[in-house]
Amino acid sequence: MPSAKTLQWMVNGFLAVIVAIVFQQVYTSMTEQGIASGGPYNNGASYPRAIAIAIAVLVVCQIFVDRFSTEPEQKMDNGIEASDLRRPMLLLIVFAVYLGLLKTLGYHLTTTPLVLGIMLICGARNIPKLLFSALTMSFAFAYIFENFLNVVLPGGIFSLNIPW
Amino acid sequence: MLFESLAAGFELFLTPAAIGLTLIGVLIGLLIGALPGLGPLMGIILLLPVAISLPPVAAMGFLIAIFVGGSCGGSISAILLRIPGTPLAAATLFDGYPMAQNGRASDAIGIAITASAIGGLIGGLVLIVGSPLLARFASGFAPPEYAILAITGLFAIAVISGDSLIKGLIAGCFGLLLATIGTDEFSTGYRFTFGTHHMLNGFHIVAVVVGLFAISEMAYQIMGRDLLKTPNVKIARPGFGSILLTLRHWKNLVRSSGIGVFFGALPGAGGVISSFTSYAIAKAWAKPEEKYGEGAEGGVVATEAANNATVGGTLVPSLALGIPGDASSAMLLGALLILGFVPGPILFEQQPEMVGGIFLVYMSANVFLLIAGILVTPVFVYVLRIPKFYLIPVVLLLCSIGTFALQASVFDLMVMLGFGLVGILFRAANYPLSPIVIGIILGPILENNLRRALLISREGYWIFLDRPVSAILVCINVSLIIGAIWFGLRKRKQKRLMVANDEI
Repeated sequence: MPSAKTLQWMVNGFLAVIVAIVFQQVYTSMTEQGIASGGPYNNGASYPRAIAIAIAVLVVCQIFVDRFSTEPEQKMDNGIEASDLRRPMLLLIVFAVYLGLLKTLGYHLTTTPLVLGIMLICGARNIPKLLFSALTMSFAFAYIFENFLNVVLPGGIFSLNIPW
Repeated sequence: MLFESLAAGFELFLTPAAIGLTLIGVLIGLLIGALPGLGPLMGIILLLPVAISLPPVAAMGFLIAIFVGGSCGGSISAILLRIPGTPLAAATLFDGYPMAQNGRASDAIGIAITASAIGGLIGGLVLIVGSPLLARFASGFAPPEYAILAITGLFAIAVISGDSLIKGLIAGCFGLLLATIGTDEFSTGYRFTFGTHHMLNGFHIVAVVVGLFAISEMAYQIMGRDLLKTPNVKIARPGFGSILLTLRHWKNLVRSSGIGVFFGALPGAGGVISSFTSYAIAKAWAKPEEKYGEGAEGGVVATEAANNATVGGTLVPSLALGIPGDASSAMLLGALLILGFVPGPILFEQQPEMVGGIFLVYMSANVFLLIAGILVTPVFVYVLRIPKFYLIPVVLLLCSIGTFALQASVFDLMVMLGFGLVGILFRAANYPLSPIVIGIILGPILENNLRRALLISREGYWIFLDRPVSAILVCINVSLIIGAIWFGLRKRKQKRLMVANDEI
C-alpha cells in the first residue's frame, strides 16, 4: 500500500490540476463569453476563481503541515497487503468495461457477466451456483426498475428489451 | 403555522403510497443499517434515484424512513456480531454485545429498537415545534445572512468531520467548486462545460455522491478477507416486553434524546458524537451496580435514543434554513430540490402541506420502526448471514441502474465511476467525503446569496458586518476556525509529548 505521503502528493497533484483547469477556463472560455469581468451580476468567474485560490492556499498549508510535521510517517496499510489491492483494481477495471459496453451491448448482455465477474473476483468458485445468482440478480433488478419505476434500460445495438 | 402545516400535510400523507413506502423505507433502512459497511447515508444514496420518481411526500417518506431505520439498524450487528453496522452504533457495542454474551441478545435488540423509536419521536416533537419557529425567525434573513450561514454550515462540517481542519476545508471547497459547473444563473454563461451539452446543468448530484461513497466503499469492502464467510449469527427474537424494559430507564431516555437532538441540530456534529456523549453522561450518572460496560440496559438506551433523536435534530436546520446538518440530511435536501421544493423559510410559507407531510412521515417512520423493527428483526438476522460476495454486486448493480435511471444517460455512469476513483483516493489519503456533499448542496446557496448581497451592498463586503445577524455569524465562523486551529495545535503537542515519553 502506498505511504501516507505518496497518497497526499497524489491528492495534491489532483487538486493542482483542478485549480489549473479553473484558471485555464476563466482566462479562455469565460473571458470569450464576457463573464470573467464586471460586477457581481455579470462576473460569473470571480466565485469559482476565489474557491480555486482558496483550494490552492489550503493545499500549500497542507504541504507546509506535512513538511514540518514531527509525527512519524504512517503507513496506510491497516493490515492490507499488496495482493489485496489486486481485487479492487480488478473490480474497477471490470466495472469500467461494463459501463463502456452497456450502451453498445445493452443491459441484458452485459449485466450477468458483470455480476459473475465480481463474484469470481471475490473468490467464489462454484460456477453453476454463481451463474444462477448472477442471472437472478440481473433479471430481478431489470424487472423491478422496468416494471415498477418505468425505467427503460439500455437495449444496445440488438435492442434487447424484455416486455415484462 | 405549526397546526396549519400538520393539518395540510395529513391530506398528502394519508395515501397508500406514502404510508406504504414509509414502512418499506424503515425495513430497508434497518436492513442496510444492519449490514456492516453500509449505513443510512448509503441507503439514501442508493435509493435516491428510485425515490425521485415517486410523489413528493411518498418520496421523502421513503428516504426519511431509510434514514430513521438505518440509524437504528447498525445496533443489530453491533449486538450480535460485535461489528457496528454503522459508526452510529459503535457506542452500542459497549453494553449491547456483553448483553448478548449473557444470553440477552433479544432483550438488547428490543431495547435498542424501542429506545431508537422513542428517541426519534422525541426528536420529531422538537422538529415539529422547533423548525417552524426557526423558519419564522429566518424569514427575516436577507442574502448576506444566508451567504454567511452557508459558510457556517460548511465550516462546521469541515471542522468536525475529519482529523484535519485543512483537509475538511479542502474537501468542502472541492464540493463548492463542483457546484459551479454548468450554466451560471446570473450571467447565463457556461462554466467548465467544455463545450458538451452533458455538462450544461453540471454533474448530477446523485451520480457524484454514488461514486464518492458507494463505489469507493465497495472497492474497500472487496479488499477484506471475509468475502466468502457466512457469519455465525444466532437468531434473536425481541418481544414487545422490551418496551417496558426501556421505559424503566425513562430519565436516561429523555436525557439522551435531548443530547441527540442538540447535537443533531448543530451542523456537522451528527449521531456518532451524540451517541458517545450520551453514553458517557449516562455512565457518569449511573449507580455502580448498573455495571456499565458489562451489559447494562441503560448503555444501550443512551446510545440508541441519542443517535435516532439526532435525525430529528438534524432535520431542524435542514428544513428551516436549508442548511444540512450532515451528509445524510444533505442528501435529503438534494432529494427535496430534485423534487422541486426549495428548503428554508420559503417552503414553510408557500408549501406548508409539504412541510406537514414531512413531519408526519418522520413521526410515522419512528412508530413503524418500533412495531416492524421488533417483529421483523429475526429476518434481518438471517440477512446478516449472507456472505459479502453476494452483497457487493447487488450494491454495484443498484448504483449503476439507479444512476442510469436519473436521465437515461451513460454519461452519468461515467461521472459515477470517475467520482468513485476520486472517492477512493480521498479516503486513502484521509480526506473526509461528507464536506464534499455539503459543499455541493450549499454551493448554489452560497454563490447566489453572496452575489446578491454584493449587488445590494454599497460598501462591498462590509455588508456582512453591517447587519447584526450576519455579523454574529461571521464571529461564530471566526471562532470556529480559531478554535479548530487551537485544538489541532494542542493535539499535535500532546502527540509530540507522548512520542517523546515513549522514546524515554
